[in-house]
Amino acid sequence: MFEFKLNMADTADAGVLYDLIIIGGGPAGLTAGLYAARYKLNTLMIEKALVPGGQLVATQWVENYPGFPEPVLGEKLAKDMEAQAKFYGLKVVQEDVLSVNLEGETKEINTAYNTWKARTVIIATGSSPRRLGIPGEQEYSGRGVSYCATCDGPFYPDKVVTVVGGGNSAFEEALFIAKYARKIHIVHRSNRYNADPILQERVAAEPKIELMPYHVVESIEFGGQQRYVKLKNVLSGLESSLDTDGIFIFIGTVPNTKLFEKQIELENGYVKSYADNSSSVEGVWVAGDVQAKTLRQVATAVGDGANAAHAVHKYLLHRR
Amino acid sequence: MAMLDDNVMQEVKKALQNMKEPVTLELFSQSFECGYCKETHQLLDELSAANPLLQMKLHQFENDAEAVKQFGIDKIPAIAVVGKKDYGIRFYGIPAGYEFSSLLSAILLVSTGITKLSADTKKFLDNLQKPIHLQTFVTPTCPYCPPAVMLAHQMAFYSDKVTADMVEISEFPHLAQKYSVQGVPRTTINEKWYVEGAVPEEVLVSKIKEAL
Ligand SMILES: Cc1cc2nc3c(=O)[nH]c(=O)nc-3n(C[C@H](O)[C@H](O)[C@H](O)COP(=O)(O)OP(=O)(O)OC[C@H]3O[C@@H](n4cnc5c(N)ncnc54)[C@H](O)[C@@H]3O)c2cc1C
Repeated sequence: MFEFKLNMADTADAGVLYDLIIIGGGPAGLTAGLYAARYKLNTLMIEKALVPGGQLVATQWVENYPGFPEPVLGEKLAKDMEAQAKFYGLKVVQEDVLSVNLEGETKEINTAYNTWKARTVIIATGSSPRRLGIPGEQEYSGRGVSYCATCDGPFYPDKVVTVVGGGNSAFEEALFIAKYARKIHIVHRSNRYNADPILQERVAAEPKIELMPYHVVESIEFGGQQRYVKLKNVLSGLESSLDTDGIFIFIGTVPNTKLFEKQIELENGYVKSYADNSSSVEGVWVAGDVQAKTLRQVATAVGDGANAAHAVHKYLLHRR
Repeated sequence: MAMLDDNVMQEVKKALQNMKEPVTLELFSQSFECGYCKETHQLLDELSAANPLLQMKLHQFENDAEAVKQFGIDKIPAIAVVGKKDYGIRFYGIPAGYEFSSLLSAILLVSTGITKLSADTKKFLDNLQKPIHLQTFVTPTCPYCPPAVMLAHQMAFYSDKVTADMVEISEFPHLAQKYSVQGVPRTTINEKWYVEGAVPEEVLVSKIKEAL
């Protein structure tokens, strides 16, 4: 009944000039790492989390990644991707990248502990949950406001929970929370849901889940005995309150591009990509959710990662 | 049946190859009214076979009052990770799931003396006047929790003024109530102050400053 998971960070030499540094160890970065290691590039991955896999580790079941006819646990897929890349020699250090200098022949990547240097960089920093930006959200974050169902779902046995959003994540994670909670309201601002039809069917078949279309959450009121959220009907303008023990927010993501914004071309906040996943800066490539593109999924992230690593390999071949 | 399967045991042995000084896992357990005492005992039994420098010492919580007092244990199962001395590194509840990595890291920390704390943090800890008690609440399924635990443990290792507990919250529901924990990780500082999430070193340090 117990599982024991071992994730130990590697140590690496900050004195050498790496062929390639990959920032971020989600599916995009891990795939780039796998390919780069097999190209025998001297590669380093810098990932701030102890457990690589990015958003995958916060995902319960992945059902649309090919090769797994049975749903696969996000964390299992992540762990296996990591093991595969490490098997071919990828090194992963656990450090948070605080600033970068992407200009010139030698790229510098700064963390609290080291300045890492490389000839090329792949940006694979992915994205983070988008916040609602309403009163109470920040205040009760971790005390009833959550962005990760696998992390915090188990805190709501037999409780009443509100889920905000209308996409795949909201529907998938609501179904997961239904294993614990007694009642779930999915609050969404319209009646058009972006979740895949198969998920919509499953949600419709789950008696614990009730859809509340045309509503937005105005504030989170978790200070008193009875916790509730204030809702507004966007059609009628009527305000109401909804008793709830916790709220999970899945309203999309924002790209992790703050580090690069002054040095690289962005498009709506995402890193603009050119042929072969290159960026506007020579020697810098981009892969995964952080890239300007339309479909942000594991299947597209791994494709980006492979492309970027291959392009780096070709680029370095001409410059040895 | 073994708790640590062959694969995990291989990984553990590899990780512990870097041990330098001997480490004792002081386990506080009792045969009744204790959630995962039995399992924690078995886990440490198997783990301590992975390296000759690692050993487990069992204390009965109900009748080893002296050790209970010496290590300041107030709930079980409890593990104190002790090397040349007791650095104040504790695990309350079973270190399973992702927390297994925290346990291995604590062993290596105590055994090798290698911390990753920045110069600024060390300077701050060097000048601490008052004692600091950090409690990091976790669940075994939380992938973001081990870094928070490891950071607190490193501070405890580095400074005599700091003690740091991992607390597996699902085994101690009364603490979840008391501190109204509804998300993990959360680190409380001297009972009253807390930080949410696995925060960078300097954020924890500035929170500790507030608490002083
Ligand atoms: C709840 C949820 C459910 C999902 N379900 C599915 C699904 O069923 N199927 C599917 O295909 N997709 C799903 N997705 C989307 C999928 O997870 C993402 O598209 C995919 O993870 C993107 O991979 P990535 O490598 O580009 O970025 P990410 O997974 O975001 O990884 C980025 C990594 O970079 C690291 N990083 C960021 N900044 C720094 C820094 N400064 N220093 C060091 N490291 C840094 C982060 O810690 C992270 O590990 C889901 C997402 C969520 C949130």
